[in-house]
Amino acid sequence: MGTDFSEPKRQSAAGVAVMFADHLQRSIRVLVFPIILVLVRAKGMNHWYLIAGFLVFLFILIIYSYLSYLRFSFFLDEEKQEFVIQKGVLSKEHISIRLDKIQQVNINQSLIQRIIGVYSLDIDTAGSDKKEASIKAIDHHTATILRERLLNRDTPGTTTEKSTDGQGPNPEPLLKLSTTTLLKVGLTSNYGASVALLMGFIFAIMEMLKNYTEAFQLEENPIKALSTEGLNLISIGVLLFFALLIILGTNILRNFIKYFDFEVIKKKAVLAITSGLFEKKHTLLKPARVQISSYSQNYFQKKLDLMNMKFKQASFDSADEDDKDNKKHDIEIPGCDENERDELLKMIFECIPPKNSTFIPNYRFLFLTIMLKVVIPISFFLLIGSVLVHLRPYFWWIIPYTILVVIMLYFEFAHHRLYLSENFIIKKSGIWDVEHQIMEPHKIQGITTKQYFWHKKANIGHLVLHTAAGTIHFKYGNYAEIHRMANYWLYYIESGKKDWM
Amino acid sequence: MQDFTNETLDIDALPKYEEVALNALSRKYWKVVLLNISIFLFILAAAIATILLLVEELRPYLYLFTGIYLLFSILLITLYRASIKRIGYAIREKDLIYKSGIISISTSIIPFTRIQHITLNEGIFSRMFQLGALHVFTAGGISGSITIPGLDINLAKTIKEELNRQLAKVD
Repeated sequence: MGTDFSEPKRQSAAGVAVMFADHLQRSIRVLVFPIILVLVRAKGMNHWYLIAGFLVFLFILIIYSYLSYLRFSFFLDEEKQEFVIQKGVLSKEHISIRLDKIQQVNINQSLIQRIIGVYSLDIDTAGSDKKEASIKAIDHHTATILRERLLNRDTPGTTTEKSTDGQGPNPEPLLKLSTTTLLKVGLTSNYGASVALLMGFIFAIMEMLKNYTEAFQLEENPIKALSTEGLNLISIGVLLFFALLIILGTNILRNFIKYFDFEVIKKKAVLAITSGLFEKKHTLLKPARVQISSYSQNYFQKKLDLMNMKFKQASFDSADEDDKDNKKHDIEIPGCDENERDELLKMIFECIPPKNSTFIPNYRFLFLTIMLKVVIPISFFLLIGSVLVHLRPYFWWIIPYTILVVIMLYFEFAHHRLYLSENFIIKKSGIWDVEHQIMEPHKIQGITTKQYFWHKKANIGHLVLHTAAGTIHFKYGNYAEIHRMANYWLYYIESGKKDWM
Repeated sequence: MQDFTNETLDIDALPKYEEVALNALSRKYWKVVLLNISIFLFILAAAIATILLLVEELRPYLYLFTGIYLLFSILLITLYRASIKRIGYAIREKDLIYKSGIISISTSIIPFTRIQHITLNEGIFSRMFQLGALHVFTAGGISGSITIPGLDINLAKTIKEELNRQLAKVD
């Protein structure tokens, strides 16, 4: 394939194989139960029929894949500034994407694609139209050029010189994760996900053991025996130790698979990020497209000078639910030290965002949260306990619970800070993992200020900044100061010409 | 905001969104809300009546049910009345302000340059009273958008056209 994208183009010829694998995988997923049913029912039937049927099925799939390869074409419409994909065997589909709506172009490689030696190119758009645009088989050289063309639409001349150095000597990476860093990251972060993974695993094993004992009609179920005889302290200790070991192990393993060979390279105005052990992921990040940049660190990571960074881009699904799993648009840097963080921030913002003035929430921050998380649950517990007598021996649990929750709430309060400077907003928050979210005022979509009527006298209120990548809250601040901030940011947005994307 | 300023810019001299005089919704909007509430209350009454008819043991509590029902109705109506009275909006030269709420009073501001699109909704009851609801969307999702209910339909159309004109100017 050449580098001229103005004429409709097909994918690499190897695309037939990728499409075949894709269709096969998809149809097996759909047909797995009917097939099993047929296999079970067809005990008496001649096996040759089955094999013949299977071959016919494969043949149809091959033809279908070939047709969909033939029908798939893409081109770049320079005049309309659109990227057009046409596809569909039975029904024709025409996808056109405005170039200025493209926010990220990813070049990925799955296992099958790695075997065949092609890549897939996925286009990520910011828009309510959620059309998935992806090219399944394209060689690396073409993919990189096309990506440059899609992202640097203003400078069409630069692509030719780019194609000459192509795969040549890459510039020095801005950040490269060594194995030891990955190990450290695995040891200190993302416990939640690994615990969930482990729990699922344990439940699966328990279920299997149950089935196994039932199937062989064993008298003793090891798990049942454990629970009836009761666990003594030593065995609990051993169990906890192993659980911890497994959690850390899965954490490290997960990190290795996801972030192996993690590299950030600065290419002109964009950041190129590659990672992955089995599936290679290449991502290009345009600093202007980043809505919120954040870095977070917990106590252990602080001791190791290690932090986690995240760049959030505009996404219409996740703007409402910022803590859902919708992290497709987020770009994560699992581990970096302070210097590397500063380098990356300089890349994004052209300077290290200063913290000129600090805003502290009012002590009333603690009132409502303590009320909701300590006073109400405990009084509820006492109330139930007064009716159900057998709960009473557990009343002493209230003491450790209260201490733990109050400590956590205190840390939440102590970490809840807003730092401002002329061109930056930095919000610090978190209990264990302390996160700093950095954004520029021109990325604000809307501002909401809130006040409970009983806080009028105390002059306390809340601030919500809406962005295309979620919201930023600052609670229990001085309301007069919040008004001043809001007025300043409105002035900043409305007098400036800076676009948010 | 100690060293927040840049000396040449005096933040206190900037226009203050919190002091803008707000417009109230159309008076007819209360009738629309009242209609909606009465339909809801009617359905609720019907449901309670059916339960009382079917379950004989509950019948002695008829007065209790009626009392709770009446109390609930009065509470609902007064709350709605109060909340509608609190709603206010304003259109400035460069942004849109919307204020609402009884317990938590919130004010949202959307600069015109951040508006993605605007829609005008007319419900059945609203249409009866020539009213409409204006939705202003941004890239900030649902939480970052503003809905102004109970606008006179002609006024709503004028505002929509004006905002669209502003959008075109920005582009």
